[in-house]
Amino acid sequence: MSVFWKLRWFFRQQWRRYLVAVIALVIVGFAVLVPPWITGRVVDAIAQETLTMRALLGYVGIVLGIAVVSYAMRVIWRVALFGASYELANQLRQQIYSHLTRQPSSFFQQHGTGDLMARSTNDIQAVEMTAGEAVLALFDGALTGLLVLTVLVTLISWELTLIALIPWPIVGYFMWRFGQELHESFRLAQARFSDLNDKVQESLAGVRLIRAFGREAVEDDQFNAIAREANEANQRVARTDSKYDPAISLAVGMSFLLSIGGGAWFIVQGVMTLGQLTSFTLYLGFMIWPMFAVGWMLNLVERGQAAYNRIEELLHTEPTIADNGQMQDAVEPSLSIRVERYQHASDAEPAIKDLSIEVPAGSLLGIVGPTGAGKTTLLDLLVRLQEGTAADIRLGGVPLQDFTLHNLRHHLAVVPQTPFLFSASIADNIAMGAMASSQEAIEQVARIAEIHDDILRFPQGYQTLVGERGVTLSGGQKQRLAIARALLLDAPVLILDDALSAVDVRTEQSILTHLREARASRTTLIACHRLTAIETADQIVVLQQGEIIERGTHAELLAQPGWYRRTYDYQQLEQAVEDGR
Amino acid sequence: MKTTFARLLRYGLAYRRLLVEALLLLALATGGTVLGPYLIKVFIDSHLTPGNWAWPAIGLLLGIYLVAQLVSAAAFFKQAIRFNRIALDVVQRIREQVFSRVMRLPVSFFDHTPTGSLISRITNDTEAIKDLYVNVISVVIQNSIRMTGILIAMAFLDVKLMLVCLALIPVVIGVTWLYQHISTPVFQRVRTLLSDINARLNEGIQGMGVIQLMNQQSRFAAAFRETSTDHYKAKIRNVLIDGFMLRALVDLLYMMVLAALLFSFGWDALSPSGAIQIGVMYAFLNYLGQLTEPIIDMISRMNMFQQALVSADRVFKLMDEEIEAAPEHPEAPRDASVEFDIDAFSYDGKTSVLTDVKLSIAPGDFVGIVGHTGSGKSTLISLLMGFYPIQLGTVTIGGVPLSRIDAAERTRRVGLVQQDPFLFSGTIADNIRLELNISDAEVEAAARQAQLHDAIMRMPQGYQTLLTERGGNLSAGQRQLLSLARTLARKPDILILDEATANIDSHTEALIQRSLMLLRGQVTLIAIAHRLSTVMQADQLVVLHQGHIQQQGTHRELMRVEGLYRHMYELQQQKDPVQLGEKPAPATE
Repeated sequence: MSVFWKLRWFFRQQWRRYLVAVIALVIVGFAVLVPPWITGRVVDAIAQETLTMRALLGYVGIVLGIAVVSYAMRVIWRVALFGASYELANQLRQQIYSHLTRQPSSFFQQHGTGDLMARSTNDIQAVEMTAGEAVLALFDGALTGLLVLTVLVTLISWELTLIALIPWPIVGYFMWRFGQELHESFRLAQARFSDLNDKVQESLAGVRLIRAFGREAVEDDQFNAIAREANEANQRVARTDSKYDPAISLAVGMSFLLSIGGGAWFIVQGVMTLGQLTSFTLYLGFMIWPMFAVGWMLNLVERGQAAYNRIEELLHTEPTIADNGQMQDAVEPSLSIRVERYQHASDAEPAIKDLSIEVPAGSLLGIVGPTGAGKTTLLDLLVRLQEGTAADIRLGGVPLQDFTLHNLRHHLAVVPQTPFLFSASIADNIAMGAMASSQEAIEQVARIAEIHDDILRFPQGYQTLVGERGVTLSGGQKQRLAIARALLLDAPVLILDDALSAVDVRTEQSILTHLREARASRTTLIACHRLTAIETADQIVVLQQGEIIERGTHAELLAQPGWYRRTYDYQQLEQAVEDGR
Repeated sequence: MKTTFARLLRYGLAYRRLLVEALLLLALATGGTVLGPYLIKVFIDSHLTPGNWAWPAIGLLLGIYLVAQLVSAAAFFKQAIRFNRIALDVVQRIREQVFSRVMRLPVSFFDHTPTGSLISRITNDTEAIKDLYVNVISVVIQNSIRMTGILIAMAFLDVKLMLVCLALIPVVIGVTWLYQHISTPVFQRVRTLLSDINARLNEGIQGMGVIQLMNQQSRFAAAFRETSTDHYKAKIRNVLIDGFMLRALVDLLYMMVLAALLFSFGWDALSPSGAIQIGVMYAFLNYLGQLTEPIIDMISRMNMFQQALVSADRVFKLMDEEIEAAPEHPEAPRDASVEFDIDAFSYDGKTSVLTDVKLSIAPGDFVGIVGHTGSGKSTLISLLMGFYPIQLGTVTIGGVPLSRIDAAERTRRVGLVQQDPFLFSGTIADNIRLELNISDAEVEAAARQAQLHDAIMRMPQGYQTLLTERGGNLSAGQRQLLSLARTLARKPDILILDEATANIDSHTEALIQRSLMLLRGQVTLIAIAHRLSTVMQADQLVVLHQGHIQQQGTHRELMRVEGLYRHMYELQQQKDPVQLGEKPAPATE
């Protein structure tokens, strides 16, 4: 129930809708009580032969009037109440999304896409049901139950009410028991269903093995056995589920019998009329809904509660990288990097230690080293995707923390290791960071990134859709597109994080040549595996286990025996093999 | 859609007996419920109103009422069980059929169909079909019979008044049709927008790094807000339509019919000849209430119906996929020789993966196939395994083209040791045996042959050791040896070894090499090797480059000339400095 309390901000915000819904529900609650009462009056009038045409028309008119009023009210409460619950879903969804935009990359690694998706879809749906259906069940169930009971007790006969309601507690008990049973068998059915999923997954993953071993029939048998188990589990659910309706109709039947029997006795005693008895049995039918509403609501609230807690937890996660800087001006693109020590977790080995690099404005820095040497970590520190206390990094002489995140990122254009394309046209993907760019500007950067000709070969050229619903690009094409995207930003500092690994050497060289021409006086940082990409760098650092082990220009490094020299020779040979020489 | 529905129904008709039983029980149940108000009517009109307290007659009425209620409840329960049985059995059959079909689809099918969507076809979509049977078809049948029963009971009481109530039916059908018409586009829009929301979220979560680096947070948040709000608006439209047309409308109709009934009762009572029985009124009003419930029930399930049809359509499409035809006149291979005569092969019909590959392998030969990543080694093996049809050229085993060899015969003759051996959860012995009916001694023999026996015996439970998911408790090398043992247990004539990665430890490499040497001469051996040292002793080495044979000969011959093989060999004598980092590099191919 506490979920209602937690949602009070929303109820307060949408009080108009909820008020309208409540008023409409109350009106409907009262309105539906009238026709059975009228019916009783008509029956009595006919039985006592006191009916007049005028009275009859009056009665019929009232029923029709009630019909129209309750129709309108029913439409109103539905739209108001469910509209409000949809509004809640809409707001929560937006809150989550904008919250996600403030989270650093570590947050996404920690939570995982599946978990975040589940919270923003299934959990939101459960909360939506709480704000809609559960409120309905709570309010309308209680209202109907109370109103009908009041009418039965005060207007007709409290004795008869007691008699007629004898079967209900018994049914209530059975409902509760069925509910328990259903819960258990439903859980089992769910488990069997995921077995089914697992089996299909396994078989599809091993389809080549299955084919090679001629195991199709065996797989069929195994799958069929699991499908049969799933079937049996579902049959169990069905067996319990099928008890509900008969139990209710039995209860209603017994309740009717008791009320007719008791009613007949009261009529013979002369304390009740036939018409009242007729009304009474009609009212009795109204009691079914409140009985159901209780269980339904409890179920919804339980789910909504858990879901809302998960959503709140997500929304209360503060971004670990604070955006407290004030610096909004442009600075010259020189970098001064001093990292005494940086570790991912306090108990982990340092990822970077005793590192100091000066990058003058307009120069090209190459960063190489074996896998896991700390290249990406270093670049993450530069763009504040990660942050450490013992790291002093300055851009144009100003510490990174003093920049607003927005301004800092304005200075930097990053091409990440794994390019990410959005479901949009190629042109939109390139213009991601600068939506106002002209077609000429887009084509120009595409040419620099050597992707223009590839794009023209696609059916719709620059308007071709990529991403999940569009054409599939090769790894190299994705990387080149990501480079074009970064170039269009025309940022003072360009960072390529192993962004040319899937591009062949010849293309790589011409992209680099273009870059040099296009980015005179701009600073460029290239981290890579293939040494050919940094041959022209002004300065190259070789990282190993977070430390600089060699530094110099290409020529200087080649002249001395060491990691750089060894790697260069190895890659020359590798290139020969790749070329088939 | 119509044919889909008909096809779905045909599955249910296979359970004629159950269906008839269920329908009879349902009729019985309906009869019981319908009888109740009628009995009360008799009590009111014959006993209560005239004050005729004939106790035996009243006792009889009471007895019939109780029996009818109990029988009806029991019959109702039993028919529901039967309908569920039919529904769930149908789903099981559809599942079995679609799974078995998928298992037999050409391998190329799996290259261009994402696994996720296939899983969803086989499980989720069939689950939606279950809803169709359990929640739509059986409910429609139940409710139709119920309504018919009630109308018949009404006709017994008063035909004219029954006709008043009957007027409800065409109106409801009309409303339902109209509702379908109006709500379907809105409903679909809601669904499309929801999947847009999910797509945007997914994209946002995965690409947030890029969005932030480009300072595009507010633009993406705005785009998301727009989609989410569009979805909200569409849902509001949906709820408006639902509000105007579903439950509220049925309630309105109910009250209008009630008014009509009251009026006609009153009219009869007022007319000079009129003598209305109070009991009839009581029963009628009761029946009317019972008549509206099924209508509401059915209308509210319309959406589920549409959903299920869409799902069924997708499942049937998958079920109708073409599978490879078995050869008409199968021939048995004459010996264990293999011959490749491939002019060209391409996966997509555009870029050739293999060109002009001619290679003949004598029975008992040991052939090593080497080459850089992407040179076509694995493709060559896929062709020999019959995974893909060959467009230009032939592959023959024992002088018979693959297309004329029965699939079962081929799998018996050709054993494949896979790159990424697939391990099932079960014991080690089970994983070697699979479905084969062989003794423990034979399992052990195969393991010995694969040099795995000693390693197995060192495990606490030996051959009965349970493998965790995907063989997590075995080393990569052991997994490969297990795959070798599994294949050897089948005693193939031709053994194909697809060496996992270049990153196997030298101990495993030595073990594999020893196994191969033991097999030498007994079977035709074709080994794809990243590690050249595993195939150095082959009778023949084939060096592939970009889909063609660049060099061919023994290790000694190939080392004598400056060329691709020698460069590869030299390269492997060194280690890649880039991959020598502290942390293991992610596996890249």
